[in-house]
Amino acid sequence: MEKILSKDRLREWVDALDDCEVLAPAFADSVWNYARVEAETVIDLSHTNTINPPKQFAFPQREVFFRFERADGVPRLTPTLPDPRPTVVIGVRPCDGRGMPRNDTVFSKEFKDPYYWARRERLVLVGLACNQPHSPNCVCQSVGGAPHAEEGLDVLMTDLGDRFHVKGITAKGGELIARGGDAFASLQAGDPAEVARVHAAASSHPQRPVAELGTVAEAIRARFDSPLWEEMARHCIGCGICTYLCPTCHCFDINDEVTNPNHGTGERVRTWDNCQFPDFTMHTSGHNPRGDLGSRLRQRVAHKFLYFVENHGTQQCTGCGRCISECPVGIDIVAVVDRVSRA
Amino acid sequence: MVNVDALRGYAADLLEKGQVRAVIGYRRGTAGVLAQPCTIDEAGEAETLVWDPTCLNNLARYLVEDRQQQAAAQTRNKTPDGRPVAIVAKGCDSRAVAVLLQENYLKREDVVIIGVSCEGSGVIDPRKLAARPEGRWASRVDFAGADAFKVTVGGDETLIPARDLLADRCLECRAAAPALNDVLFGEVVTERGLDEPFRAVKAAQGATEDARWATWEHHFDRCLRCFACRAVCPMCYCPECVVDSTTFVNTPGTTAEEKATRIRWCERSASVSESALYHLTRAIHLAGRCIDCGECERVCPVNIPLRLLNTKLEMEAFEQFQYEAGRDFGQASLLSSFRDEDPNSFIR
Amino acid sequence: MPNSSQSPAPEAQAHEPRVVAFLCKWCSSAGSDLAGVSRIQYSANATPITIPCTGSMSPLYVLSAFNKGADGVLVSGCHPGDCHYMEGNYLARRKLYLVKQLLQFVGLEAERFRMSWVSAAEGAKFAEVIDEFVGDLRPLGPQTRLKAKH
Repeated sequence: MEKILSKDRLREWVDALDDCEVLAPAFADSVWNYARVEAETVIDLSHTNTINPPKQFAFPQREVFFRFERADGVPRLTPTLPDPRPTVVIGVRPCDGRGMPRNDTVFSKEFKDPYYWARRERLVLVGLACNQPHSPNCVCQSVGGAPHAEEGLDVLMTDLGDRFHVKGITAKGGELIARGGDAFASLQAGDPAEVARVHAAASSHPQRPVAELGTVAEAIRARFDSPLWEEMARHCIGCGICTYLCPTCHCFDINDEVTNPNHGTGERVRTWDNCQFPDFTMHTSGHNPRGDLGSRLRQRVAHKFLYFVENHGTQQCTGCGRCISECPVGIDIVAVVDRVSRA
Repeated sequence: MVNVDALRGYAADLLEKGQVRAVIGYRRGTAGVLAQPCTIDEAGEAETLVWDPTCLNNLARYLVEDRQQQAAAQTRNKTPDGRPVAIVAKGCDSRAVAVLLQENYLKREDVVIIGVSCEGSGVIDPRKLAARPEGRWASRVDFAGADAFKVTVGGDETLIPARDLLADRCLECRAAAPALNDVLFGEVVTERGLDEPFRAVKAAQGATEDARWATWEHHFDRCLRCFACRAVCPMCYCPECVVDSTTFVNTPGTTAEEKATRIRWCERSASVSESALYHLTRAIHLAGRCIDCGECERVCPVNIPLRLLNTKLEMEAFEQFQYEAGRDFGQASLLSSFRDEDPNSFIR
Repeated sequence: MPNSSQSPAPEAQAHEPRVVAFLCKWCSSAGSDLAGVSRIQYSANATPITIPCTGSMSPLYVLSAFNKGADGVLVSGCHPGDCHYMEGNYLARRKLYLVKQLLQFVGLEAERFRMSWVSAAEGAKFAEVIDEFVGDLRPLGPQTRLKAKH
């Protein structure tokens, strides 16, 4: 399904989705991030990539698995499977869109994670193609994506100046468009060519190459024990920025948070965790198999470009560039992969 | 002006003569406009050192890292190379070194401070640069006197008023050249005419209590607990942070009972209460130690104004106790000293 | 229960404040004992925790007490000049002044944190301090800002 949506009628479409939680990028505190669209919100889709990717809407930073308490000496568990309203996220950039099916794979391949899927199945991603890269660190095309990639999105919008070209990609996306009714218009004769022109122009911006993508996995495997890792990670400070902001990093920790120790009351919660924290792999014995910065950098890069390829047949990195732009010390995954490949 | 070639020559000379083990400095990054930290082990590499307004990091953090590695080597019964390490230091970085010296984390003879002047200006705030048209595509930023930066985008050079790009920390800086140094490149500029010290804190505390909490609740709610603020801070050198206290190192002798009943000061959940506990604990732990390099605020991916928490306490230290962190490494630390006339009226 | 002279808001009246009181073992803790053996009536809202010296107070104790649900936190130690360890209370004064300032700065109802000097001989003062604090806390209602919400 392909339609045209005049920019001044976007709000009409959003208003028709009144049973949904609608989120769109907003610029606040000097960063772009998703925020709930309220009655008075003016939706501004001039955003660069949001600082947080949309993974949080299926995989929130904190998820309660169940509550526990002790009543008359007997432990009692109460399940807390989420039951969210349908959630529509508008303005998802295609790199982030491509992240979602990668997360879907992780949360369904060996074990279908009910918490993830309770949210994911109610999640509709409305993408917005990039008409130009947002930063020198945008490398979507170098990892097999495109500024207008459809993978993972339910709807793809393309900015044509005063109007959006809106394409339903999945059945969910088609339904969402249908709900906008006559906010949408049919395509005019010149529109398909115009869309193609905008997409081609966006794709023509040069991006930094991520080595020879097909050979990266092998290169990482071959240089697993290379001193290069330690050298490249020498100034890593071990924070969680690269992983927490990554659209495809999905590691977590599970803890019991006791609210009242006398009554054995509390919750079992899942929270984000990440492989760059020094204690991530700390064993009970005190031994840490990834005790140095180099092995932790290697883990992150190898997960994106080697392990995920081995396990799921594709790179996990979708080229959004957040880990590069936001790294406090300038560690650059493109340069890392490049050096390992050339070593 | 800082003569970067002279700085490189000095660093090369130190390494050549074997007077230092390494030089910690800045080099060009591979992505974007910002310089990145580097450690030079050989004289030949000194050519890659740079100094410009994109040298944001407080490199004193790497002295801490180095000290920890030296200590680890010792416990492995290896004799570490006892020669000093040299560090390129801005005014704020040198104050950080002074605090490390004051706390006996380092010895004066363990470090050679290569001071660089901020040219009466300071470093840029990357968010302010990115907010400008084409700012994200800048390939270079250079000092152009005290009042402007020269920004290069593609082949075009533009002069931008320093005020528009300067990091907030630099606007309030009281000493934009390192007082503690072994050698100083560039001139000491004392007249700055930018903001008053503590301007932002004073503005923030003008709001009502409920408004202040609304603001901070909003910020604590946004915190991702990536701990970049802690990781980047040269003063956050505790081997284990209270918020990680579920990870006390276990030994074969640690009983299950002990593990189960260990106090948990702070849960992992990134909720308002837990993030507030973390940030407030960190702020108070930095009282009298924060030298306002502003790195915590700079690295925060969601831009929480963390500097305010620290500068609030530094303002109190200055106004109530006439204390400035990093002013003199011989002074008694703020919280290990007192005076009879310290504020008492808040006590019943 | 003390006969409170204030007239708290009706909805807050229902809430009995819970106070965590960190008491120096050399003075205020003994002061509280004296209040007890002297049969002085005072509010039962405070849970005492004896500490070796106010100088040993970590700011984290204060934050943690609020995090675990305290409506008020009291730290009570020896009068200036009377510290068993010579200077612990002076160090505490400086440190806890900063804690109070920080709480105030982020809008955390700094009046919920209080400090007092109560000697071992001041049983009556101890009772007064507790009564006053509880009376001042009552109109504030429950402390919700730092309390963990799970």
